[in-house]
Amino acid sequence: MGPRDFEVLEHPADIGFRAFGGTLPELFARSALAMLSIAADPAAALPKQEYPLAVESGDRESLLVDWLNEVLYWFDGKRITFRDFRVTQFRDTAIEAVGMGEPRDPLRHRARLIVKAVTYHQLKIERRGGLWVAEVYLDI
Amino acid sequence: MRIEAIDALRHRIPRDEARGMRTDVIVYASEALMAQIRKDLSLEQAMNVATLPGIVGSSLAMPDIHQGYGFPIGGVAAMDCDEGVVSPGGVGFDINCGVRLVRTTLEEAAVRPRLRELVEQIFRDVPCGVGGSGFVKIGARDLERILVEGARWMVQNGFGEQRDADFSEAGGALEGADPAAVSERARERGLPQLGTLGSGNHFLEVQYVEEVHDETAARAYGIFKGQVVVLIHSGSRGLGHQVCTDYVSVMNQSMAKHHISLPDRQLACGPIRSEEGERYLAAMCAAANFAWANRQAILHFLRGAFQRIFGGAARLDLVYDVCHNIAKRERYEVEGRRREVLVHRKGATRAFPAGHREIPADYRAVGQPVFIPGSMGTASWVLAGAEGAMRETFGSVCHGAGRLLSRTAARKGRNAREERDKLEERGILVRSETRDGILEELPEAYKNVDEVIEVVHNAGLARKVARLRPMGVIKG
Repeated sequence: MGPRDFEVLEHPADIGFRAFGGTLPELFARSALAMLSIAADPAAALPKQEYPLAVESGDRESLLVDWLNEVLYWFDGKRITFRDFRVTQFRDTAIEAVGMGEPRDPLRHRARLIVKAVTYHQLKIERRGGLWVAEVYLDI
Repeated sequence: MRIEAIDALRHRIPRDEARGMRTDVIVYASEALMAQIRKDLSLEQAMNVATLPGIVGSSLAMPDIHQGYGFPIGGVAAMDCDEGVVSPGGVGFDINCGVRLVRTTLEEAAVRPRLRELVEQIFRDVPCGVGGSGFVKIGARDLERILVEGARWMVQNGFGEQRDADFSEAGGALEGADPAAVSERARERGLPQLGTLGSGNHFLEVQYVEEVHDETAARAYGIFKGQVVVLIHSGSRGLGHQVCTDYVSVMNQSMAKHHISLPDRQLACGPIRSEEGERYLAAMCAAANFAWANRQAILHFLRGAFQRIFGGAARLDLVYDVCHNIAKRERYEVEGRRREVLVHRKGATRAFPAGHREIPADYRAVGQPVFIPGSMGTASWVLAGAEGAMRETFGSVCHGAGRLLSRTAARKGRNAREERDKLEERGILVRSETRDGILEELPEAYKNVDEVIEVVHNAGLARKVARLRPMGVIKG
């Protein structure tokens, strides 16, 4: 996860990120890692297990929101922390991926902030100079 | 954007048909606050709220308004119950985020020498739940009851006293909750988090009453100068967040069917009288009840912490508990007609005046208690609801100071240890589960709470009762 994979965006009350990817599947995987970096530290998670993730939605924007909400549910509900994602199938209304990670251990996985949810606020997915760029705001 | 000053405290953004606005926006703010408010997108967002079908009266902005998602934070919108819509985003992800004030039988001078011990004890006994789970061990069946009975179930099962539920807005449980409308995912997120504070702007603060402005109301609330009180700010945790997430998605998918188009997808809504609207409201009530149960569990653990430090000498009574994020059916006189409306309060507090029958009998002569937390270094306020709120703001006032700096801007160039030491020099001990928890919530990140209070007091929406100063802060 390099510094060019994503950057943090300001919001008066909450926080957002701008993620970059060469392809849409890469953009979606990096967006998930950007969100998890705000909540915790993905690098502290060991890729001990593979978790299958699949989401369908109405269009590309809502697919991104629903995908991130799926990852957040695994993190906050199933208490699994991920190190990385491998997208296996992708179209604008569906994504299938494998999340590499392990069950959360409060002693090894330091939490930063509780991410409540993913919002549609100023949501953007666009192509800029040969790269896919996503901007997403999270409720903190 | 055209903004007209109505008077020194009220500003109007007239209805703009080209933008699809169905009504005006009214902002309650001084000139100084107005200049701060104009720096972010909050007024645009209040204008977007004015486009919602069935809005009654104006789209209202409180003096603590700041930019949110879809709805601004510090916004109030009433919808016609027959023709209006309900918007999950208009309630927010943290359904029934709210505050409760607890009064103690201790005075500042008695607590100060043992403050560090007390703060450490509370930090151990009341988990923030950022990395781990809470101490309330309940099963799926208990959760089913909690979703319907809220704080009442908690007090009946050993987590408090009957009085705690009686002295909460709606008696600590909203009617109309249907657990079947709450997804398995929401339950899974919520169950281990019951009895935890959360992070972000949630906190538990040990404070003392610095000054009393209204002796009669203070006496009714059992508050006196020098007394130690505790303010608890938390919500429905992962359960409420998931309920909102689930229903924003439901509403987004059903809007075309209901012929609704909006300037911002986060405003996603559905008719109150539709399957989607009714189901959301049933789930929202259940999540609100979970939030009351959560704050009740926190109060229970807080009592234990005080007991361990001060023994039987310390008695803790709930003054009151109010919601910040909720949609409620209430009746108001609108243009000479009595109407039932669904009031969305997104970062706003109900403030019923003296005589209202929904206020506990002990407080009915003075008005409903309203608690306005400031930032952790400044002050918080106790107010009493006033008549103006019934006439102008659908029984609502502000909910806090309102943010001034973004979280990233607040962190910039600051060191958590230094900031903690600075607060300590001012007599405020801070304990936080995360490093960023302190930096992002520093006093500098917020507007001046006293200025916000002046506006609601002078506008006649609520009156000042007491100003509270922090001594010990526990944060996620």
